[in-house]
Amino acid sequence: MIELVLQALYSGFLQGGSYALIAFGLALVFGTLKIINLAHGELVLLSAYIAYTVESRMDVNPVFAIPFALVLVCLCSVLVYYLLSFIRKDRELNSLILTYGIAIVLTNALLMIWSADVRATTSPWLQEALVFGPLASMRSELIFFLVSLILMGALWWWLARSWYGRAVRAVASNREAAKLMGIDPRLTEILSFVVAGILASFAGVALFSYGVIHPPLGEALTLKAFTITVLAGLGSIPGVMLGSILLGLAEALTVTFASSALQDLVGMILLLIVLFVLPNGLFGVTGGRG
Amino acid sequence: MLKLEDVSVRFGGLVALNNVSLSVGTNEIVGLVGPNGAGKTTLFNVISGLVKPTSGRILFDTHDLGSMPVYRRARLGIGRTFQIPQPMHELTVRENLVVAQRFGAGKLDSVKIDEILEITGLDDKSERDASSELSLTELKSLEVAKALATAPSLLLLDEVLAGLESVGKRHFMTLLKSLHERFSLGILIIEHDLETIASLCHRVVVLNFGEVIADGTPENVFRDPEVIRSYTGAEHA
Repeated sequence: MIELVLQALYSGFLQGGSYALIAFGLALVFGTLKIINLAHGELVLLSAYIAYTVESRMDVNPVFAIPFALVLVCLCSVLVYYLLSFIRKDRELNSLILTYGIAIVLTNALLMIWSADVRATTSPWLQEALVFGPLASMRSELIFFLVSLILMGALWWWLARSWYGRAVRAVASNREAAKLMGIDPRLTEILSFVVAGILASFAGVALFSYGVIHPPLGEALTLKAFTITVLAGLGSIPGVMLGSILLGLAEALTVTFASSALQDLVGMILLLIVLFVLPNGLFGVTGGRG
Repeated sequence: MLKLEDVSVRFGGLVALNNVSLSVGTNEIVGLVGPNGAGKTTLFNVISGLVKPTSGRILFDTHDLGSMPVYRRARLGIGRTFQIPQPMHELTVRENLVVAQRFGAGKLDSVKIDEILEITGLDDKSERDASSELSLTELKSLEVAKALATAPSLLLLDEVLAGLESVGKRHFMTLLKSLHERFSLGILIIEHDLETIASLCHRVVVLNFGEVIADGTPENVFRDPEVIRSYTGAEHA
């Protein structure tokens, strides 16, 4: 029994790392633009399909798809920003409709290009089990958990130490005041979409490396990222990592002790509990501007 | 340095500013006064670029500001504070200034940052979180310090003394006089306290219902019957 619990916690912990990659992109864009990119999950999925194509056509490890995914997904991410820039009124609300529309277009594009079949990696190297005492995982799970930790560290450095990272935080904190400090908000917005694209690229390749993919999955990914962002507290970047691991753990324990059919439900229940008990999320910013 | 020519702003049917013309010279302190709703903050918004004028021209040094975005005006040398302080949350006091200097002035000068922290009285608060660990007077000082960090030649101060107790007001009076001397700034200041305006400003511009009704030295302006009428009502004029 204890071994079962430990294994579930271990799997959930590793899963949380990948969720963090997906959720950070959504949270970063929300922080700078105050919009929720409902097409974010589809961008992650696009990267996953690029990994599938590289593996199936070039017969190489899907990890080699990362450079291609970075270029294509970042381009798509910036394209989403470009389309959003046409919104002149009520950007917060209208962007929901626009990005939902983009998500539908992307899902159908994925269906047209890659069909509705379920895909998974065929790489035995990635799927090989790594066992540490009572804990077991696929090699890909462990690799991408470490990749996630490295990227989170890099992101933390970028936001805390680099000039443009600080500018992103300044715009996220107070857009008008940031402009008066000489910061061009459009530059920080584009940067946020590029960074979200980079994270989505890695998340997509990770997803394909240890899971199964099919075109409608994007919506579920966006929903998970949204759940984590709200769990962490809207505007709280540091809380995203913990929120991701919390969701990963909750899902893994549910799958182990209840049913995999309840996996998505547990995230929603967690979200409701946090919203009832801590309306600002686990790390929510309680103060407003001024 | 700053010159407004027949600037008007309309919000639908509401005329917020009507053919406003005024100027602020280099190293000059100009007070902008008027009853509530006179259009003072709208005028600041127009100069800093947050609101586009319906008509008229705004000239700054040799530049016609036209539809120049806010951040470029800040880089050009127009610093602005808000009546309600707008610190950057999650950044320390020093980080607020360093970011403003890096993007507003386009260079890094830690000596200048130390000088600004010292003159605004924030030198011992520089590592504090700007959003949660400062008093109102300190937040207002930070507002001025942020604007100074962008290396402005013109400073727009929107009611920096509002809400402060007498100690805080004295601190700010001293601060404004000393930064004017040390940084050779042109200052346009909105303030309701006419005594403060009289003791601080070289010139006063009075706005009422979006129009300039007086422009001159504090002594002359505060004796102007139309100005007295706008503040106290026709029967006192």
